[in-house]
Amino acid sequence: MGKSSKDKRDLYYRKAKEQGYRARSAFKLLQLNEEFHFLDDPNLKRVVDLCAAPGSWSQVLSRKLFDKDDYTDRQIVAVDLQAMMPIDHVTTLQADITHPRTLHQILELFGNHRADFVCSDGAPDVTGLHDLDEYVQQQLIMSALQLTVCILKRGGTFVAKIFRGRDIDLIYAQLGYLFDQVTCAKPRSSRGSSLEAFVVCQGYNPPEGWQPSLDTNSSVVEFFQDCPVGSNENRTIAPFMACGSLESFDSDATYHVEPSATSLDPVQGPTNPPYKRALELKRSGRLTRAV
Amino acid sequence: MHSVSHYGPALSVKFLDRFVYAGYGPFLHVYEYATGKLANKCLIFNKNKVHGVRIGDNGLILCYGSRSVNLTSIQDVHEKSSIVESEKHTSEWIISGEFNSDCSQFYLLTCYDRVLTCDLECHVVKKSAVYGERSILYSGSIKVVSEDKVFINAGTVMGGIIVWELFSETLVANLLGHSGSIFYVEMNRDGSLIASCSDDRSVRLWDLKSQKELSVGWAHTARIWHLLFYNNDTRLISVSEDCTCRVWDIQSGKLLQSAIHEVHLTKNVWCVDVNEKDQLAITSGNDGRLRLISLTEQESLQRNFTIKQISDDSKVPFAKQEIIKGFHWFSFGLVAITSEGKILQYGNQWKFLMQNPQFKSYSMTNGISKDNIVIFSNNKCNLLILKFNSEGSEIVASRELHVDTLTKSQNCMVCRHHDRNEFFVTLESPNPHDPFMCLKFDTDSLNLRGQFGLKKPESFASSCLEIYESFLLVGSRFSVIAIFDLNNTSQESLVSRRLTPGDTTTSIHLVEFSIGGPVFVVTNRDGYYNFIRLKLGNPIEELEIIHSNRTARGFLEGAYYDNNGDLITYGFKSELFYIYNETQCYEKAVRVCGGAHRQWELARTPEGFMLVFIRASDLHFTRVIEPKVPEVLQCGTHGREIRDIALLKDFKYKNGHLFCTASEDTTIKLCHVHESTGQVTTFWTLRKHVSGLQRCKFLSSKLMISSSAREELFLWELTTDCNTKPYIKFRQALPISGNNPDLRITDFSVKFEGSNFILAAVYSDSAVKLWRYNHLQNRFQLAVEGHYKTCCILNASLFEFKNQSYLMLSATDGHLSLYNLTNTMNGGTVCPLPSVESSIQIHQSSIKAMNISVDDQNDAVRVYTGGDDNALAICAFHWESQTKRLLPHLKDVQRSAASSTITSSELINDDKQLVTASVDQIVRIWDTENDKLVLQEQKYTTVADTGSLDAVSNLLLIGGVGLSVWKTEHH
Ligand SMILES: C[S@@+](CC[C@H](N)C(=O)[O-])C[C@H]1O[C@@H](n2cnc3c(N)ncnc32)[C@H](O)[C@@H]1O
Repeated sequence: MGKSSKDKRDLYYRKAKEQGYRARSAFKLLQLNEEFHFLDDPNLKRVVDLCAAPGSWSQVLSRKLFDKDDYTDRQIVAVDLQAMMPIDHVTTLQADITHPRTLHQILELFGNHRADFVCSDGAPDVTGLHDLDEYVQQQLIMSALQLTVCILKRGGTFVAKIFRGRDIDLIYAQLGYLFDQVTCAKPRSSRGSSLEAFVVCQGYNPPEGWQPSLDTNSSVVEFFQDCPVGSNENRTIAPFMACGSLESFDSDATYHVEPSATSLDPVQGPTNPPYKRALELKRSGRLTRAV
Repeated sequence: MHSVSHYGPALSVKFLDRFVYAGYGPFLHVYEYATGKLANKCLIFNKNKVHGVRIGDNGLILCYGSRSVNLTSIQDVHEKSSIVESEKHTSEWIISGEFNSDCSQFYLLTCYDRVLTCDLECHVVKKSAVYGERSILYSGSIKVVSEDKVFINAGTVMGGIIVWELFSETLVANLLGHSGSIFYVEMNRDGSLIASCSDDRSVRLWDLKSQKELSVGWAHTARIWHLLFYNNDTRLISVSEDCTCRVWDIQSGKLLQSAIHEVHLTKNVWCVDVNEKDQLAITSGNDGRLRLISLTEQESLQRNFTIKQISDDSKVPFAKQEIIKGFHWFSFGLVAITSEGKILQYGNQWKFLMQNPQFKSYSMTNGISKDNIVIFSNNKCNLLILKFNSEGSEIVASRELHVDTLTKSQNCMVCRHHDRNEFFVTLESPNPHDPFMCLKFDTDSLNLRGQFGLKKPESFASSCLEIYESFLLVGSRFSVIAIFDLNNTSQESLVSRRLTPGDTTTSIHLVEFSIGGPVFVVTNRDGYYNFIRLKLGNPIEELEIIHSNRTARGFLEGAYYDNNGDLITYGFKSELFYIYNETQCYEKAVRVCGGAHRQWELARTPEGFMLVFIRASDLHFTRVIEPKVPEVLQCGTHGREIRDIALLKDFKYKNGHLFCTASEDTTIKLCHVHESTGQVTTFWTLRKHVSGLQRCKFLSSKLMISSSAREELFLWELTTDCNTKPYIKFRQALPISGNNPDLRITDFSVKFEGSNFILAAVYSDSAVKLWRYNHLQNRFQLAVEGHYKTCCILNASLFEFKNQSYLMLSATDGHLSLYNLTNTMNGGTVCPLPSVESSIQIHQSSIKAMNISVDDQNDAVRVYTGGDDNALAICAFHWESQTKRLLPHLKDVQRSAASSTITSSELINDDKQLVTASVDQIVRIWDTENDKLVLQEQKYTTVADTGSLDAVSNLLLIGGVGLSVWKTEHH
């Protein structure tokens, strides 16, 4: 896919290319970390990156975890519907995170170990039906959370993309049952005009006596049915935190820069959108109205 | 607060008997489709939208949407205004619902591929699923083939289509072939065929038994959302994000596209249903429109004749190269002339009338349908005029004439007087010094009543004609109009040049006589149209443009008001001829005609239109039958987010208020809201902007400004004293500084100085510019220029306080910043922006909403802000008399005033209350007295991406994806 000139003028996009990141999203994770420092913990060893393609978060994680010589016990697993180009020290898995089988596969990759950190930058195919899009987004969070409760160590951190739409306060309430601290964080690299933000959930602390069990035949909704999570209609508003200093680039601002030169070609290989064939037909004038 | 009307996404439609049932936001609308009458509006769910409607043979209707279901009787939805008390919830999203074979139960398919079987009390009696396939679905359908055969067709995000059998809970097929998420799956009646669509934009047809893909249909240019088999599974209909509805023939397992209808505004058509008896389809879209289209074949309405057929049929031999040179359509048929001067008539058959060698090789044909008169002319200034009786069976009068004041004629045009039985013929010579000749005839006797030699304006080439009283209006190439007074031919004509960028004027039609003078609609080939008003006098004083706009695309050939007062435009668009309802923005009809032709005519007929054209020397007739049913049941609004709403508060217009909506779809709509019913009527959709809108505001009762990316800021002028409609024209654009397409003018503010004003414009690159606007010169002049910081500015407000001029800004950095501009604007030079007088950080990130209230008595200026950080605050700037400065003090802040971004706010009730809109879809009213924010009332709105708000008296308009009208109670 060719990048539009809008992308080429985007300073985060340029910075990503300069630093060898596959997507400008890398700065969202980095700016979240500037505020919360979850990646600066020297004990951070095992992490799961869900909905990871094209892989800039995995790149950030790989650079953070494998910056020293001692690699023992370090592991990064990245999962996405889309195929990903290999990244050093990252095990990739092409799968649907809402499929119960996928969670089993991830658990297998971890053996008996627990993860220190789980993140998900998942975004569904946006249809334009706001209620459906927000629901599917929430289901991606719930699937990520399902894996999280099966794999995250007590005290661990979970970070997930959210759409701040009409029922976001339900999600905050649900997460509040499982974590000591839930914050709604918005990195400055995330456009102010979008609904996007991130929940940063710190201090994993599941309710006493709740034993989650993964059953291949249950959906994530059923999984959480007998947990206080998801079972009621409580609403809370998580405190808001803007991340990244005011000196960092403002993703809503227009900067007068020349569109970046071709020397900053995408590091990431060409992606294969599902509608590639339709685009080709349209470009060759085969989809005109005269029938 | 309570809702009085709503326009927005309609997600489901269903025909039953005489009615259409439409899921319209959380409501079900019931229309009698033959008349278009809205029979009832029934609230189905508290919050959720109605995504699906199913009607059982037992008189029950099942509505579902999101995690809600409501089962009720058809009678209830016809009679009650709400049935929310019987709303039930499921734990998972409902993808589809269906009654069982004897309507004693119904099934719900959830997004995790589970089926809930429910009894008619809505108790779940059984849960079914196929083992291990519990990933999320975007689509799915339930097919009840028989009492003991029910198929579930599940569309996954990665694993193709999973077909399973409900009672045995067994996997029947896994259909792989699409790429991307499956967005719809539908099974035919007996369960042998499956149609599907996905993110790959193709439609696929599958054979269930063999699990083979039978056919792939490529045609849609964006995602497809709904599919339906009809006419005994011989047809499939699809609707898409690309705004079209397409019909596919299924011939021996192959999909063949057979019709395309452009049905909705950008973007998304969500649902379609078909009435087989009347061969009608109804579509619903994100724009809230409900569109009815006829599915009957168009081929039967078309006829083509080759020259040979015409010759054979009329039994006259044609010369070797003889072709049709001109024609005119009458209610009795066609009258045509050939290149040999043969005059022919066509009713059911071709008939030779006469031959006139004077009209050999070159001739022009004009006609007056009303009087059955045809006028032939040649380049030697000869005229032949024939008048037929109304059946066309006889020529009742004829006249031949030579005009000797001209040596040569290159154009002949005709028009009829609106009030008198007279018609006018103009002849134009290629010699610029020759007069422009106009002849006046009697429509009965065809007697010549007058002859006028008019002085031709410079570089003039006539292209269309209109007569009003004694004024002859002549359109020309280069978008010029000349107006001659036939009672005073010695007078120079009034010439208006360059109404629009400059192609040929294609039509001029009188539309009304307003207090200010007669109003005409003028079309231009380049796609622009104008409404002009003549200020009459002796001589004519002035020609005033009161409306200017551009059609969606293509060549514009003409326009008129229909019986509903809707403006209809027509012309060519690439391969097509189109007829478009410009007021409501929909295509009435299109015909493939192979592109713009030199010889064509669109005639109005009692049943619709007749399009006649010559293509590759063949004569083509195409009838357009106006449907007997309304073309739309509901008009709707923008198809994309409404970013700003501006109510004209200065005066009332016809039991309500005028307002503008500015949308992401790059258009601005000028509308009216009825103060008691909340009914919204759209008058115009303005297409001048080329990027998504940011803001629109009325400056006065006559002026409006809109702004968007590409530094577009346009000044518009409103005319409200016409009978037909309010009109609005583009007046001026703000000069731009460069060509950065991303540079947005995010807000602006105005301070009047007489009829001139000062404009403060703020930009996404942190630029702040002040301009002087001179009304007489119609000119913007830069006065002050500078930058705030480097971040994006979001709000600006100019105000006066203690005889000082101030500008307040808010930006993405969460700060309010105040500039004192009192001594800055002087002389003709551009001054630098002074430094900020005071600034305060109130929010963590963007301040999206800002309202200012100046309180002179208490020496304070209050600023109310709402932000991306969910917070709402009151900040008071107090006057420090020693330093003569305004200094900020944070008075109150509610950190979690909403659960997501507060996008818009308005002060109401003499600034005692503040209404806020936020993306969590809740509208809140806050009491602001004593500088404390106290929540008074809150209510959920079905308008998603809630981004704009405006209020006048007790009316509240809420915009986002859709538009709602609410009323607030006065406290
Ligand atoms: C915004 S992108 C992630 C970008 C990534 N964090 C990076 O930095 O490169 C969102 C991703 O979510 C993935 N996704 C959406 N639904 C999914 C699902 N059900 N299972 C796995 N991945 C999913 C999409 O394929 C997409 O690649």
